[in-house]
Amino acid sequence: MREIQALIVDDSSVMRKIVERSLRQAGLESLVVVEAGSGVEGLETLKAKRVDLILSDINMPAMDGLEFVRQLRNQQLAEGVPVVMITTESSEEHVNQAIEAGAMGYIRKPFTADQVKQKILSLLPKA
Amino acid sequence: MTLSLRDSAHLVSDPEKLSLSVLEVFGTMLGVECEPVESCASQPPVGAAESVTAVVGFGGILSGACVITCDDMSARHIASRMTGMAFEALDDVVKDAIGEICNMVAGAWKSRVPDLAANCGLSVPAVITGRDYNLHMQSPEFRVVRVYRFDAANFQVAIVCDELL
Repeated sequence: MREIQALIVDDSSVMRKIVERSLRQAGLESLVVVEAGSGVEGLETLKAKRVDLILSDINMPAMDGLEFVRQLRNQQLAEGVPVVMITTESSEEHVNQAIEAGAMGYIRKPFTADQVKQKILSLLPKA
Repeated sequence: MTLSLRDSAHLVSDPEKLSLSVLEVFGTMLGVECEPVESCASQPPVGAAESVTAVVGFGGILSGACVITCDDMSARHIASRMTGMAFEALDDVVKDAIGEICNMVAGAWKSRVPDLAANCGLSVPAVITGRDYNLHMQSPEFRVVRVYRFDAANFQVAIVCDELL
């Protein structure tokens, strides 16, 4: 299996670890995780590093996840890279906002590892 | 027409919605089954011992907060179940975990009222720790308070509504 580089953006270190654990449980054994504690940090990471997958919280201080996705798309920092929002906000309006911003998937908290697996595997290119 | 929750206030203040939300979050993220502790509902688990209070604010069509309070031991147990790590002290990871639990309960609770889901925003969590403190919220419109337990952990969850549009 090829190595997957995943960027996890969340102001909560606990949630970053839980998302990482869920990715590993999804069968992504060859996983390299890069963490960012904010949208700003996430953009800086993407300027220096190419990743295969981005998972981002929405509700974060300073720069929220929607603005993070808009900026990474506008700055063409992750062309063609799937972005999945992981958030407590679950209304249709929030989902639409995320899609309009440039996200390709949406996972509502609380989530199971299986939900993460289904979403990620549907978005990653087949090996 | 301006959207109002006044006509569905009974849905918003329904304690069952809070319990369903708490059970969903703890069941999914911690793999535990919580049970409400009816006899302790009027006694917050705070006192002389160190305690943790996490607050997530609501804004928009409803203003108020979701508040979770528990003692030091329960906070460490919740964080331990959530992360798979052991905690000897009430450190930043434990506070972060309780804040995230509060965030998810707040989100799950508001998603159970259709008009609330899209028209009520959540703040980022704030977490307070210490002894003998009091969280005062002035004359709320309504307050739903319940205490839950799993294993040896007890925690109180409150939905406090300051204003309902």
